[in-house]
Amino acid sequence: MRKDRIGKLVQILSRNTLYAPVERDGVTTFEKVEKVEDIKFDYQNSDVPPKNVLFPQTETTFKYTLGKDQKIEVPKENGKNIILGIRPCDARSFSILDKVFEKDFLDIYYSEKRENTTLIGLSCNEPGINCFCTSLDGGVGNKEGLDMLLTALEDEYFVEVATDKGKAIIENSPDLFSDASDEHAKKKDEINKRAESLMKRRISVEGIEEKLDKIFDDDLWNEVSMKCIGCSVCTYLCPTCHCFDIQDEATLREGRRIRVWDSCSNPEYTLQASGYNPRPARINRVRNRIYHKYEYYPKNFKVIACVGCGRCIDKCSVNMDIVEVLSRVKEI
Amino acid sequence: MADLAKMRNEIKKIVQRDDVKYVIGYEKGTYGWRVSPSFARTPEEVDKFIFSPLCVNNLAVYLVLEEKLPLPKGVEEEKKKIGIVVTGCDSRSVVQLLQEKAISRDDVVILGVPCSGVVEPKKMKEMFGKEIGTVAIEDKGEKYVIVIDGKRREVLKEELVSENCKTCEYQNPVISDILIGDEIKEKKKESYSKVRELEEKSTQERWDYWKEKFERCIRCYACRNCCPVCNCKECMAEKTTPVWIRRSVSLSENAGFHIMRSLHTAGRCIGCGSCERVCPMNIPLSKLYKKVEKDVIELFDYRAGLDEEEKPLLSVYSVDDSNEYIL
Amino acid sequence: MSEFEPNIVAFLCNWCSYAGADLAGTSRIEYPPNVKAIRVMCSGRINPMFIVNALQEGADGVLIGGCHPGDCHYSQGNYYARRKFQIMRKILEYLGIDPARVRMSWVSASEGQKFADVISEVIGDVKKIGPAKNINRI
Repeated sequence: MRKDRIGKLVQILSRNTLYAPVERDGVTTFEKVEKVEDIKFDYQNSDVPPKNVLFPQTETTFKYTLGKDQKIEVPKENGKNIILGIRPCDARSFSILDKVFEKDFLDIYYSEKRENTTLIGLSCNEPGINCFCTSLDGGVGNKEGLDMLLTALEDEYFVEVATDKGKAIIENSPDLFSDASDEHAKKKDEINKRAESLMKRRISVEGIEEKLDKIFDDDLWNEVSMKCIGCSVCTYLCPTCHCFDIQDEATLREGRRIRVWDSCSNPEYTLQASGYNPRPARINRVRNRIYHKYEYYPKNFKVIACVGCGRCIDKCSVNMDIVEVLSRVKEI
Repeated sequence: MADLAKMRNEIKKIVQRDDVKYVIGYEKGTYGWRVSPSFARTPEEVDKFIFSPLCVNNLAVYLVLEEKLPLPKGVEEEKKKIGIVVTGCDSRSVVQLLQEKAISRDDVVILGVPCSGVVEPKKMKEMFGKEIGTVAIEDKGEKYVIVIDGKRREVLKEELVSENCKTCEYQNPVISDILIGDEIKEKKKESYSKVRELEEKSTQERWDYWKEKFERCIRCYACRNCCPVCNCKECMAEKTTPVWIRRSVSLSENAGFHIMRSLHTAGRCIGCGSCERVCPMNIPLSKLYKKVEKDVIELFDYRAGLDEEEKPLLSVYSVDDSNEYIL
Repeated sequence: MSEFEPNIVAFLCNWCSYAGADLAGTSRIEYPPNVKAIRVMCSGRINPMFIVNALQEGADGVLIGGCHPGDCHYSQGNYYARRKFQIMRKILEYLGIDPARVRMSWVSASEGQKFADVISEVIGDVKKIGPAKNINRI
């Protein structure tokens, strides 16, 4: 598809609810857009991952009013969503999140949104300084979780379709798309290879599960966790972190139940009503986060709950570096 | 800036003392221009310590972050001191903590380093965000000399230095057990120009400005956690009986949280700028906190973090306090 | 269109301003009825977050009533309240919440008429600037 046709595509796509990267004050987030001018295509990766679209930070599960006209209202999700310009790592995170939101008991809030959302990815021509998706079964051209993937060539986007939803977009506006030639495919492969070779961070995660099993009480965790200040930035900005809390906000006559993001780096996360806290110190919580992503989740779902986007390394104010921690784990 | 070898020597002497648990300083980060807080227990670990304009974190927060967990019967609490490397503004944080009795003077060994400014991480990211190799910076007065992989570059200091540092009035530590480096003679004056700019706008314009910023807040509480003065064991934002600020993220709750925090740190905030630095959503918090600092000086002639013996702002009153706007 | 009737929440200290309000009532002094009075033992007990929460829950204005400086029943409560109020007011004004919404006044137990005047003034001022929509929870 020619790059100058992207405006027309956006116009057609925005008939649904279209989310795309928007920049405000230097911060890129995925927001609802209607015009192509608002979209920022030349971004490395958004600061807040698009998990906000499928798993909102604050989600009303139901509202109620008491009194004579007592009623309970469940907000209805209708309408299709499209996320345009999502990076392959973030899309892969959705396929990882799917596993936990569907295990044993289907989470209707997440899965309804997931079914109604089409993901149109944008491949990375240049990796970020902290990206390490290739070390974790990901890649700049990885289509896992995506419905359609665009790779920016010189004047065109190389479009690859991965699912029926992606096919439907092409069938909806066939005049915007034309067949790609072998040359195009070759150029795309070159761009992908170049991008992956520029990725400086690499870590082998083979056998990490078994290794972590053995070193739970190691002194390493003491060292690593001393500088953590216990804010929630890494958990909120991580595409695969999915902890949440359920709160009731109520006044005398009415109220609502909401699901909100929570973070295991808060001491209150495990604080029990008796006052006892099984994870009282930062060492417990920092160690738990790494174990959850690299041992407990793989034990349950056979996949590491990290996509290598590098946001936690970028945004941590005290330079907690998960890649460095993992390489030290391997050395023990 | 300080002579690195001399600094490491002094710190080694401190670490070797029997009554010191560890010393908090800075070490090279894991990539590019990053610098990370470092905890040295042995003289060998002190060799990792560095000091440069890249050392932006306020280390005083670690004095109050250490968890005091219940000990088994018969085990006594280890009463050892913590050494800490502080610049001008950080030393004011330590004095403020002493004033409020969050720590006692016997608990700390303070190594003061006169500071001529640190970089603004966001500007560093823009200029050097693609460098994965170590970036070293030297302060040469008007310019920064930056060395990456052996290549030298010069950048005008005012393009990289933090806005806060441009008007810093306390470049020399106000308290220290050991002073490392020469005292800085230059005196800067805080003019609150950014605050005045916003004060001059109309009420509606100000609300529109702050509304846009607060809507972006994701309530990660990084600003609260990196602040040495925000050290309540149970923050009012997380209390459930009663609920002051709800858990939901919306303009109303975000504004409520920021109003609450700026009020709780009124007269205690020393203007280090860490909150704005760590905010992942680029909310201009220093505009708000500098305004509170300005008001506290104008209304009550009180400056935070200067005198250990002084009483905290809101625990005293004066009969002559302003009656402005009171009916 | 009916005129906007503001909702004012008044935190009144038990010994002076609440008694003053009571006196206004027993003396049958008329003043606008848009005030919801909350009695606290002393104005110094008032947590500045009360003001924020009141504005969040739909109040258009907040009034804090205390004893005259020097006459606090608990000697110093109103001095602390004055300090907290000054800072809080300036923060709210800087963030764009109209300063006419948050007021403080010293009303003693014998000043029933003054209480009525203060209420009328506050309500008049808030009427001019309209309902508070800034940090309203809804």
